[in-house]
Amino acid sequence: MALLKWNQKLTPLDNEIQQLKLEVISMWEMVVSQLQKAQEALKDMDRDLAREVILTEKRVNAFELKIDRDCEDILALFAPVAIDLRFILAVLKINMNLERTGDIAEGIGKFVVDIPADFDVRLLEITRVVEMYQQANEMVVDVMNAFEEEDTVLARKVFKKDDLLDEINKNAAAVVANFIKDNPSKIESALYILSTIRKLERVGDQAKNMAEELIFYSEAKVLKHKPKNKKNEE
Amino acid sequence: MNDSKSEIEKQIAHRNRKNKRFKGVIIAATIISTLPLLFILFYIFRQGISAINWQFLTHLPKPVGEAGGGVSNALVGSILILLVSCIIAIPVGIVIGIYLSEETKSRLAYYCRLAVDVLQGIPSIVIGIIIYEWIVRPMGGFSAFSGSVALALIMLPSIIKSTEETLKLLPESLKEASLALGVPYYKTMLKIIVPTGLSGILTGVILSISRVIGETAPLLFTAFGSPFMTTDIFKPMSSLSLIIFNYATSPYEDWHQLAWGASMLLILMILILNIISKIVQSKWKVQF
Amino acid sequence: MESAILKVRNFSAFFGKSHILKNINLDIDKNNVWAIMGPSGCGKTTFIRCINRMHELTPNATTSGSMQLNGEEIYEMNPVMLRRKVGMVFQRPNPFPTMSIYDNVIAGYILNGIKLNKQQKDEIVETSLRRAALWMEVRNTLHKKGTFLSGGQQQRLCIARALSMNPEMLLLDEATSALDPVSTAKIEELIHELKAQYTILMVTHNMQQAARVSNKTAFFYLGELVEADNTKTIFTNPKHEKTQDYIRGHFG
Repeated sequence: MALLKWNQKLTPLDNEIQQLKLEVISMWEMVVSQLQKAQEALKDMDRDLAREVILTEKRVNAFELKIDRDCEDILALFAPVAIDLRFILAVLKINMNLERTGDIAEGIGKFVVDIPADFDVRLLEITRVVEMYQQANEMVVDVMNAFEEEDTVLARKVFKKDDLLDEINKNAAAVVANFIKDNPSKIESALYILSTIRKLERVGDQAKNMAEELIFYSEAKVLKHKPKNKKNEE
Repeated sequence: MNDSKSEIEKQIAHRNRKNKRFKGVIIAATIISTLPLLFILFYIFRQGISAINWQFLTHLPKPVGEAGGGVSNALVGSILILLVSCIIAIPVGIVIGIYLSEETKSRLAYYCRLAVDVLQGIPSIVIGIIIYEWIVRPMGGFSAFSGSVALALIMLPSIIKSTEETLKLLPESLKEASLALGVPYYKTMLKIIVPTGLSGILTGVILSISRVIGETAPLLFTAFGSPFMTTDIFKPMSSLSLIIFNYATSPYEDWHQLAWGASMLLILMILILNIISKIVQSKWKVQF
Repeated sequence: MESAILKVRNFSAFFGKSHILKNINLDIDKNNVWAIMGPSGCGKTTFIRCINRMHELTPNATTSGSMQLNGEEIYEMNPVMLRRKVGMVFQRPNPFPTMSIYDNVIAGYILNGIKLNKQQKDEIVETSLRRAALWMEVRNTLHKKGTFLSGGQQQRLCIARALSMNPEMLLLDEATSALDPVSTAKIEELIHELKAQYTILMVTHNMQQAARVSNKTAFFYLGELVEADNTKTIFTNPKHEKTQDYIRGHFG
């Protein structure tokens, strides 16, 4: 089901909901940009870019507060029901997911700023962290587009994309362990990279959560806590 | 700026003056139209008061030429004829009024309303003649009963109309509440609807009585009048209005006096009836 | 196992040639509060007026199909007996103006000529007024005319009047539409308590009220029963798009 139909006259609640949707998309775009900047900063070891990301995090947090307040207002004033209600509930959760994703981007930025001078860039390649990052970003962008278009088919694709992230994550430990064996002096760098990989795994989780919320409000189907294979079937 | 302000003030003052003038015209018109009524009442009172005494009220009229005499038989006659016409007109009128207030669309209701309207317009003397043909002739003589029937016919339209209007004003939900309790239709009408509308119905009844109390023309051919005191409704009977007619057109002065006295009595009775009607309306009026 | 107190099968209602209710099928279980909702002209009022056969009092009103109250065909019952089993409260409070509060409560008995002794009368009056949450407010003024109460009190008096007949089912036709919010809240609380003993069908325009008070909801549209389900389901995830459009306020 969709929030709006082509021939429908807009009620005040409809207008509020459309406004809210635009706000969420703006925040989403900001978070995507944060992730991309942090990705650039990581690839090029660009400390200045990383500092930009850290500063911008304040705006992401401000967005989160505003969206929370707007949801509260709509609930209090309009007492929405059915799909409208489900939308607000989904937005509250997506809001939280986006804020956490923003935190993760900031975390990666902080890592780039604090990176030791003797960081071994070979680590980036062998762990496939850039590839993982690219996939994670795509997932977040996909769910954003799915949210804008109310496209639950697109949202479901995200569950498959997570497989790649899982794969890279699983191999990371072994790869890094090997590296440490061969380069015992570069333990710090290795640990930094491992931590970044864990962060990216969480970005994937956030994207999946947001996809679940989208499917919940649009189809009233609850996919939370379902095993992975079932999610793909539903 | 100042100009336009005083313009507006001038306009307002002008309109206020117009208002006052208009009010003045209305009050003047009211006074002018009430004055004749007051004159009439005052005049009758003055003429008739001297005639009213105990003898007047309790004695029969004396033959021509003799002094004294009263209108006792006419008083009794008026009241009796009225009573019988009430007994005929009130139940019939209320029932028809109930029917018309319920049925707004049926053919029968349409023709019934038409008939009531026509009846209302028939001159009372014509009714008298009709009753003469239908009742006096077959009965073989004049009677108070035929007079009552004639008066009842005159009373019917206003009883029917006021009953219908009163009941129409009652909210539909009242009937529905009763029916929804499982009360059958006839009981709903008799025990809820009619009692609720009682003050309006009674007002209509009282007004129709005060209308016919002074009718003379129909009684001329039906009750006819009589010099005797009688309570047999199948015999001719006197009434105040007949006495006024007879005495006022006679050449005798003392009979003229009696006529004035009888006129005042009639006015008094009408006055009392109207006061009762007002009391009934205010005391028994049902609130919603 | 819930039992259906009212079974409606293939039921239609007409005003002359106008097809007002189209082939309604519905089961109403005991001790539920059903909200009957829908836009103006959808047939919801006609529906409940068919249950106590008030519909047929309008000229040219006809019905077809079956309605069974506890297994008995409603349209074969004596309407007077039926209306003692199914009580109705209307939108405008309508206590009988010529009767006292006391008499109003037992009006059903008085008007039907059912003889009761003083003790029985007192008992019924007190019980009914207590059940309608009005006893404490009027117990010292039972002799006064019913019309001197406030709107909310009058409506509770009408509820007491309906309850005094010990009906199995109570039909409320927008019973709080004409009342102020405080009275409305009192009556909503009352409905909540009455649920334990009676089965209640309430027609309402107020969706918030339907959501608050009822546990089952039926949505009518243009004479058809579009959806009938638990109130929670209807308000969080209705099965039909029309139902969702209506509850979101998208009907012009």
